[in-house]
Amino acid sequence: MSERIGPAVQLRGVTKSFPRAYAVTEWVRAFGRRRERRVVLDRIDLTIPRGCVFGLLGQNGAGKTTLLKLMSTLLLPDRGEIFVDGVDAAADSMEVKRRIGLCTSDERAFYYRLSARANLAFFAILAGLPRRRVKKRVMEVAEVVDIANSLDYEVRTFSTGMRQRLAVARAILADPDVLFFDEPTRAVDPVHTEAIRSLIRDRLARELKKTVVLSTNVLAEAWSTCDTVVILSNGRIVAEGTPLELRNRFVGRRRYAVSLDRPDEKLVERLRAVAGVGAIENMVGEPGLIVDIEQRDRNLTSLLGVLGGNGVTIRGFRPLDEESFDVFRAATAGERSA
Amino acid sequence: MLSAADKAWAIFARDARIAIAYPANFWGGWLSIVGQIVTFYFIAKLIGPSKAYGIAGHPATYFDYVAVNLAFVRFQNVSIHSFQQAMRGAQMVGTLEALLATPTSLSLLILSSGLWAFTLTILQIVFFLAIALGLGLQLNHVNPITAVAFLVLTILAMSPIGVLSAASIMTFKQEAPTAMLFGGLGALLGGVLFPVDRLPHWLQVVSWMLPITHSLNGIRGAVAGASVFELGPDALWLATLTVVLGPISLYAFSRAVRRAKEDGTLADY
Repeated sequence: MSERIGPAVQLRGVTKSFPRAYAVTEWVRAFGRRRERRVVLDRIDLTIPRGCVFGLLGQNGAGKTTLLKLMSTLLLPDRGEIFVDGVDAAADSMEVKRRIGLCTSDERAFYYRLSARANLAFFAILAGLPRRRVKKRVMEVAEVVDIANSLDYEVRTFSTGMRQRLAVARAILADPDVLFFDEPTRAVDPVHTEAIRSLIRDRLARELKKTVVLSTNVLAEAWSTCDTVVILSNGRIVAEGTPLELRNRFVGRRRYAVSLDRPDEKLVERLRAVAGVGAIENMVGEPGLIVDIEQRDRNLTSLLGVLGGNGVTIRGFRPLDEESFDVFRAATAGERSA
Repeated sequence: MLSAADKAWAIFARDARIAIAYPANFWGGWLSIVGQIVTFYFIAKLIGPSKAYGIAGHPATYFDYVAVNLAFVRFQNVSIHSFQQAMRGAQMVGTLEALLATPTSLSLLILSSGLWAFTLTILQIVFFLAIALGLGLQLNHVNPITAVAFLVLTILAMSPIGVLSAASIMTFKQEAPTAMLFGGLGALLGGVLFPVDRLPHWLQVVSWMLPITHSLNGIRGAVAGASVFELGPDALWLATLTVVLGPISLYAFSRAVRRAKEDGTLADY
């Protein structure tokens, strides 16, 4: 692979709106006037470096899929510029399409009456693969997503999860440098979900130095797979950074559940003395405590030290909420209340 | 260039496989040909030979006249409908975005989507004419060069109407009135079932403007042995329509796709 310079994807001031649907009476009133539009992405500036997994997180309707479609030239922005692999998407969309692979979350995006092999071979040729390489490449990508044994079955017989894996296979057919994945593990079973995440993180990004832009609603997926995460809310970027940076920025306090073999009032007293500890409540249904603590490494070390040296048996210790959820909730709080 | 040919072949093969995957529909189309030709064979028995059905004043039977017309009017139908059906199908099946995300030009995508339909139509016309021959159709004087020339001109002149209709599907998510207009008027005014000189004069003017009228004139002329030069006005009109409507239709289609990308309605139906 030749060494390329500059970011893999760059967006400058990208705004996108869609026309609002009108009722029949509104059509009459609005006749001759420009249709109102709903802004779904508002002045987005984004720089995605090469060779990383870049996560797009957001609630439904936050603009993740719209952003992916803009980057893959399936939509045109109202304003702003998009460069993919250094190519201006507006000026040369065909060249952009030669450099990307797109995995949509729409399971209908295949010919159901054709076999998986025929589907992949068809899209391989449309992606520009030479005919002589198609057969081998189809087998390679099918093995990567573990559908090689089902290649000769019609896609209509596939489960939703298998179709999703087929979509992943299609995206990597032409071995592009930039890959866009829109919820690639939706409806996929846990074993294959982990396999897809590993494919994205370990093989595509780490080993093959591909740039992967991953849109997901699954916070754990973003946290475990992405080098950098962008959180979108109401069409705007509300946070951007590595999972660690986001944790440090957004997670002020966390709550931990401590399961014990018996209640111990002395332990509660000693815990109250630990720096950063706030409210302490009894767990419901089993002996134990819920401890609220300021999120700092030394506070947690002190807490664990007190728990370990108090003579009670600790049966479990776990954060009550996922760290990623805490970050997401904090980052989108202002937008949701707006 | 080779890549474009590979892509066109891939689209052709895809459509062929999908068509054969629905056997009832596929074979039903062939059966309906038998029904149609036999029906007109019996209707023709009620109508005697006339110079009106022949070329250059030679008398011909109504069956000779109508069989050739019915066979080749299929080209009008497939030209008008195949492109829009391809777009409509891709929208409804959900493959349109996946297709447009590939580095394949819009013109290649839309024009290749008619390849299978045209091939199938040629095969069905051969089948149609073979049955008609068995029922007495006279094809003794066919000029094959003229026939091929008018086949090509017919496809080229009528396909833009289909591409315009595909542009309408992309924009309005509905079939274009132009396609229905050309399809409907073609059957009535194109000389398919009766000679156009039976129409009132003002309707003959409308008829003259329709590509199907000149296509069928050309094909009937080829069946009677006429050369392309003898059918010059018909060939010229079809060529003019091709040159004028071809670029317009491709431009309209690319504008329709652009607008769908602006409005986010690419995959809507």
